[in-house]
Amino acid sequence: MSTPPISKGYLLVDTRKCAGCCTCMLACSLVHEGESNLSLSKIQVVSDTFGHYPTDVAVNFCRQCENPACYSACPLPDQALCIDEKTGVRYINQEECTGCYQCVEACPYTPSRIIVRPEKNVAMKCDLCQNTPYWEGEGKQACVSICPMKALKFATEKPEGPDGYTVNLRGEGWAKLKFPTD
Amino acid sequence: MYGYAGKILRVNLTSSKISTINTEDYREWIGGHGMGAAIWFDIVKDKAITSGFDPKNVLAIMPGLFSGTLVPASCRTQMLGIQVLSWPYEWFGRSNAGGRFANMLKWAGYDGIIVEGVASKPTWINIVDDDVSLNDASNLWGMDTHATQKAIFKEVTGSSGLGDWVKTSGNRLTTQRPAVLTIGPAGETRSRLAVVLTEHGNAFGNGGYGGIWGAKNLKAISALGTGGIEVADPKALLEARLWAQKNYATDYDNPKIWTPLGITTSHFGGYANANWSIDPRSKPTGCNGCHINCQPRTSNGVANEAICGDAMAYRNWEKKVRGTVTEVSAKSVDMAQRLGINSKGFQNWLIYLTILYDKGILGPGREIDTDLPVGKIGEAEFIEDFLHKIAYREGIGDDLAEGFPRAAQRWGRLEEDLRTGILPMHPWGYSIHYDGRCEVYWWYASMVESRDVNMHDFNIAAYRVGQEIASGKTPLVPAKQIADWFGELAPYYDPEMMNFATDNIYSIHMARTTAWLLHYSYFWKHSCGLCSTAFSDLVNPNGLNNRGLTPEAEVRFYRAVTGQKLTFEESMEIGRKIYNLDKAIWTLQGRHRDMEEFPEYMYSVPSIGDTSATVGKPQPYYMPTKVNGEWDYRDVAGRYLDREKVEEWKTTFYELEGWDARTGWQTRASLESLGMQAVADELARHGKLD
Repeated sequence: MSTPPISKGYLLVDTRKCAGCCTCMLACSLVHEGESNLSLSKIQVVSDTFGHYPTDVAVNFCRQCENPACYSACPLPDQALCIDEKTGVRYINQEECTGCYQCVEACPYTPSRIIVRPEKNVAMKCDLCQNTPYWEGEGKQACVSICPMKALKFATEKPEGPDGYTVNLRGEGWAKLKFPTD
Repeated sequence: MYGYAGKILRVNLTSSKISTINTEDYREWIGGHGMGAAIWFDIVKDKAITSGFDPKNVLAIMPGLFSGTLVPASCRTQMLGIQVLSWPYEWFGRSNAGGRFANMLKWAGYDGIIVEGVASKPTWINIVDDDVSLNDASNLWGMDTHATQKAIFKEVTGSSGLGDWVKTSGNRLTTQRPAVLTIGPAGETRSRLAVVLTEHGNAFGNGGYGGIWGAKNLKAISALGTGGIEVADPKALLEARLWAQKNYATDYDNPKIWTPLGITTSHFGGYANANWSIDPRSKPTGCNGCHINCQPRTSNGVANEAICGDAMAYRNWEKKVRGTVTEVSAKSVDMAQRLGINSKGFQNWLIYLTILYDKGILGPGREIDTDLPVGKIGEAEFIEDFLHKIAYREGIGDDLAEGFPRAAQRWGRLEEDLRTGILPMHPWGYSIHYDGRCEVYWWYASMVESRDVNMHDFNIAAYRVGQEIASGKTPLVPAKQIADWFGELAPYYDPEMMNFATDNIYSIHMARTTAWLLHYSYFWKHSCGLCSTAFSDLVNPNGLNNRGLTPEAEVRFYRAVTGQKLTFEESMEIGRKIYNLDKAIWTLQGRHRDMEEFPEYMYSVPSIGDTSATVGKPQPYYMPTKVNGEWDYRDVAGRYLDREKVEEWKTTFYELEGWDARTGWQTRASLESLGMQAVADELARHGKLD
C-alpha cells in the first residue's frame, strides 16, 4: 500500500472537561485485553492532583496520522502495523508483531501512542475499537461510550492540525452546573 | 479468583520482614474490611489492646473487592486497627479514603497491606509491583503531605514530570505516578486528629490513624502497579457499567439538577458541585474510575479535592463573621490538608471554643489560658494559628490535638459541658454529625459501632429529601413512597423502617433500620469498596419514578466481577457476619452493654436541628413520619430522647442481632449460625460469650 488512505475515524478530547478519572483507560484495556490495566490502555490519561485547571490533565491517544510514522517504521507493514482498507484505521496485528518496537520510537508524540507489552513482546495501539474481543460495541468506541463526563468524542472528519484534536465539548449542561464553558 | 490480586502484603516494621498472605485463605471475608478484620483477628493474639498507640496495634490497609475493576466508584481503601480518636475507649475502628491508592495497590499485585510493629527510624514503604522495600524517611520527616508525595513521585519515577512512559523496576511501563499515602506534621506529633492523606485532599480522616502512623515511624506508603485485575465476565461488567451510567448517573451534557440543601452529591446520580470550591474557574475531578467525580480542581490548585465537611470546615465561620467567603477559607482547607489534620474533627468543635470564649472561660489570662485568637475566628489569623498549634502541639494545641473530649477533660469541663450540651459530642467522642434526636438510626448505628458511622444512605433517602420543605420546595419523593420502597427491600421488607415519628424511634423497626445500614455498609462499602458518596442509591432523580439502582446494580456488579451468584439478601447476611467480627473484637477489648450510650445532653436538651451549616442557628429537621396512619415529612426538631426507651431499643437491637440483651455480648448460637465458631471459641476463652 503506497499511499495509505486517511482514517475515517478520530478521537477528540476536551481536557477542560476531563476529570482525570481514567475510566476510559479501565474500559479500553477491559474490552481489548479482558482486564482493567492502565499499562495496557491505548488511551493514556495523566491527572496532576497538584495541578491547576486547565493544565492539570493530559489525555494522550493515537491521532490516526495522515502519514503514520509508525506504519512507515514497521518492518512488516500491512502484516504487523496495518491500515484498514475500509475504515483507514491504523492498527497493530499482534499475531504478526515481532516486538521490534520501531513503531514506538517512530511515533512523533510524547508519550508514544504505541503501547509496549513486554511480557508478550508486542506493541499495541488504538484501533478505535474495531476489534474488541470483550465487547460488542457495534462500531462505538469504549472510551467515548464510557466517559462519564462526555469529554471524549468520535469524529469522522480529520481534525485540523495537532491542536484540532482538543475541542470544547462543554455546553449548556456544563454551564447549568456552573462550570466554565470558555 | 476473579476480582483479586491473589496475595496480601505483610510488613513488620520492627523486624523489617516482608512477607505475603494468600488472599484465598480469607475469601469468605470478601475483601476490604472483612478480610482486614479477619487477618487482624488471626494475627493479634492479645486483642485487649486499649490504645491505638500500642506497638502491638496492627493496621490493615485494604482496597475493596471491586477496586481495580471497572465497577463505578470503587477505588476505596479501608484502614483498620485500634483507633485513637474514639473516647473514652480506643476501639478497633475503621477509616476510608479514595484517590488512586486502592486500584494502584491491586494493580501492583496486592489485595491489602498488613502493617505490624514500630520502625526504629522514620520509614516509608515503596511498592512497585513485586518489588517492595522499606526505606529511610528521615529526609521526608517534617515535610507536609503534599511535599512528601512530590518527593516520592520523583524518587519512584525519576521525574516530577507528567505523562511520559516510565520503565519500572520490573521492566514494565507506565505513564502514571505512584499513589502515595502519607502523614503530615500532625501525624508525626501523634495527634488524634491526624489523617493519612493521599493526593491533594483525599484522606483517612477519622480514627486518628495519622497519629498511629506517626507512632509507628511510618511516614508514607507508595504503590505503583502496572498489572491488572481479571474479572469473570468483562463483557457483563462493561454492560453493567454502561447500563448504570445511562439510567442512573448524571448526564453531564443534560444534568437533572437536584440539590436538597444545595449541596447533595451523595447518591449514584450525584454530580460535581461547583459550590465546593470558591473558585469560579474550577472543574470536576475524582477518584480513579469514578462516574461522579465529585471533587473540584481549582485554577490555583488551592484546596483541590476538598468537598463536604472538608470544604465547609471554615467557610461557614468566615461567612458568619465577615459576611463573605474568600480565599481565607480555601487556604485554611489547604493548610489542614498539608498539615494532615482532619477538618471534620474540628469543624463543629469551633462552636465549643467560641462558647467558652464568650463565657469568659477561655482566652489570655483566663481559666483556660491561651493566646489562641478566638476573638478573630473567621479570620485567617485564627485558623492559621489554630491549625499550626494542633499540628505542632504548641500551647493549647497540645490539648486540642488530643481531640475535644480529652481536651475538655484536661480542662475539667467535660461532665458539665456534656450535660448542658455545649460540647457538641457524637457517640464515642466524635464531632456531632447530624442529630440523633431526629435522625436516630445514625446515632444508634454509631453507638453500636465504634465511631461516627458516617453513612449517608438514609440521610439522603429520608432526611435530605424531606428537608427540601425547609427551603420551600416539594420533596422529590413523597414520604409514603420512600416507606413503600423499604417494604420491597431485603432482608426486612419493612416500610416502618422509615417512620421517624417519636412513637416509632425506639421500635424493632428502627433496630432494623440501624442493622440494614450497618450490614449493607460492612459488605458493599467497607468490603467491596463501593464509595459512600454513590452507594446505596435509593432515591435518584435519574431513575424510573426517582428510584435508585440499589439493590439491582450491586449484585450485577458482584456477579460480573467474581462470576459468583449472590442475592442481595445473602450479601446482607455476610455484612452481618463481618459486623459481628468487629463486635467480637470490641467485646474482647472490654466492651459491655453499659458502655454503649449517648452523651448526656441527648436526654434533656431539645434538638435545634442540624446546625453544622449555620454555625449554631436552629434549623427544622424534616423526616418521614407516620402519624395517625398518614405518611408525611414532619419537622422532628425540638425533641430529646427518653433514656429508658433508648435502653429498651438497645435490648431490641441486641436481640435482633442474636446477642444477649443483658451484657450486649454475642451468643455461641448466633455466631455459629454465621459460621464463626472460632470467634465464639475465642470469646468463650475470655469468658465473654453468653
